[in-house]
Amino acid sequence: MKKILILLSLFLMMGCYQDDDLVTLYPDQDVPESLQIKELIGIKLENTIVTDRVAMNVKLPLDGKYRIKIRHGMNNELISQEMITAGEGDNLLKVYVASLEKSGYLIQLTDEFHNVLGNQSFVVN
Amino acid sequence: MKKILLLLVSVFFTLSIFGQSEINYSPVYTVTKVGDTLTMKFQYNKGDGGDLTLAQFDFEYNNKLLSYISSTSQAPSGASYARNNWTGYKFNPKADTSEDDMDVQYTWWKDEAGNNSYSTSANWSVERTTIQTSAAYTDGNEFVKYSFKVKDKFNSGYDNYNNIIKVNWANYQKADGTAIQTIKSPSTQSLTGIEGGNAGAFTINLKTANSAKTDYSYTIKNGAGASVATGDFDESGQASISGLENNVTYTAEANLKEDATYLDEVVTVADLALVFAEAIGASSGPSGGSTTFDYFIQDIMGDVVGDGGVVDFQDSYEILAYLQGVTSGNTNRITQDGKTEDYSGIESTYGAVANNTVTFSKSFTPLDSDASTKTIDLAHGLVGDVNFSHSWEPTVNSGEKTTVASSSSFRISSAAGSKYGQTETANIDLISEIKDGQVIFSINSDIEGMVGSQFNIVYDPNILSLENVIFDTGNEMTNFSNIIQDGLVRVGSFDQNVSSEVKQGTPYKLVFTPLENITNASGLISFRVKEGVKADGTQINFIIQ
Repeated sequence: MKKILILLSLFLMMGCYQDDDLVTLYPDQDVPESLQIKELIGIKLENTIVTDRVAMNVKLPLDGKYRIKIRHGMNNELISQEMITAGEGDNLLKVYVASLEKSGYLIQLTDEFHNVLGNQSFVVN
Repeated sequence: MKKILLLLVSVFFTLSIFGQSEINYSPVYTVTKVGDTLTMKFQYNKGDGGDLTLAQFDFEYNNKLLSYISSTSQAPSGASYARNNWTGYKFNPKADTSEDDMDVQYTWWKDEAGNNSYSTSANWSVERTTIQTSAAYTDGNEFVKYSFKVKDKFNSGYDNYNNIIKVNWANYQKADGTAIQTIKSPSTQSLTGIEGGNAGAFTINLKTANSAKTDYSYTIKNGAGASVATGDFDESGQASISGLENNVTYTAEANLKEDATYLDEVVTVADLALVFAEAIGASSGPSGGSTTFDYFIQDIMGDVVGDGGVVDFQDSYEILAYLQGVTSGNTNRITQDGKTEDYSGIESTYGAVANNTVTFSKSFTPLDSDASTKTIDLAHGLVGDVNFSHSWEPTVNSGEKTTVASSSSFRISSAAGSKYGQTETANIDLISEIKDGQVIFSINSDIEGMVGSQFNIVYDPNILSLENVIFDTGNEMTNFSNIIQDGLVRVGSFDQNVSSEVKQGTPYKLVFTPLENITNASGLISFRVKEGVKADGTQINFIIQ
């Protein structure tokens, strides 16, 4: 009986933890730490200051078509857009910036219908 | 009666006892501008004073505004003359006395003031003249002439040339040593109407629709056409200049750098549409005629062939050829990559029509008396940019046209007096995607009534090679695609009859072959110019979600 009570107490304590306190386990161990995304959905660049190209992780909730948009960091004008077809989970891709002007930008992940799923700012230097 | 006579005799006697002379000083020539030589004469006026054999006087001048050149004695032959000077001193007149009473001030200096007669003052210099003769000085004769150079009051600490010379005291004596009462005239010497001199801080405000103000430079030239000031505008479109002179007429011009990265975005299909409309409707010039332009300056900007400010089909075909990347037989003036054709002038006259000629007045004259002349607004325009995307739209009334072409389908619906530069926005989808190992860039449009469109597409030439441009714009459109430079391609269409429209769907598709293995294409293709024009001349600014 005492053991059962201790076990129940442990379960109760675990139930009080917030999700954020839980360690996220990445099934795909090939995702480098710098590109790991805690949330279920998101977009992350390996570096914020970029000169030529940079690795990018796009973490998706479902298989399907998504848009990756690059907007100007000042006026939000869309200056580049790609449609990708990708699978659920982490997708390691690249962003090529050599032909972009040196400036600040926002890279955005949306679904096919322009609903924003994540974004990150970066600078072309 | 006896008392009255006695009173009159007393008055007469008194006047005889206190008779006085004068020291007069005045410019010999009128000076009008900075740098002129001011020659001052100091002159004896006997009045009813006694016979003068010793004249000694002391004056001070403002050494920030006058620079001593020379002094020349005017004393008669045989007279003794001496000059003394001290720089950095100023006379302190006797309190509660008339500063014009020269013998009182002399006595004050000599007998009463002690160390208080002069005080140090860096802005002033004291000159002292002494002339002694054996014979009485002739009434009206001069003592001495002084020459000074009129200095620029800029940074002098003085706003004007008032009271720059002042006689402090005078010692007139007879041969027996008796003092002659003396006054001076005038009390002080001032100069008025002095022109020239450093204009101080001068400001140029650049007027242009282009947001990249730092890409512009200015040149100021003098009347001989020599450059006196050059430089670049700052990010706000201002330039601060020093070294200009008041009352000197200069010319100012602005120029856009020829290595600006966006020159291929200046003249686009929207300009082509306007020039075509003008050619169809008018072939007009400043002399009049039916026209679709709003301003006479557009005749100048639209005359890309350069045949006298007349916009005709030759100009429209030249712009079309430029957009198509076709080299024509003409030497055109179209603003394009690596080449600018500038027009600039004072904004208040920019594009005005005078004597049937479009003007770009560049002249200005700083005036010390008018602070508003220390700033000019300099408007700038580019040849070919008739829709003023990168040029200043005139504001002067005489530069506006009033006639509207009736033979053109363009602008028929426009109300009289409305501007041609009306715009509207429309959604469009530009997107790249990897398909079958190639990168496909699609321009998808569902816009109706679009008779022309243009897209300047930038791509990374080290990773992508442009293989093909596929048009699906309809059968009537004149399509163009040309690589402006490595990694920059211009794609678009225009219907010269202004009757057909760009087909909806995917009118343009660019096919690229990757030069290396890639799994996605984010950032490889971006877009700069993206605009269209409707049959009524309305410019369409595309919005991409």
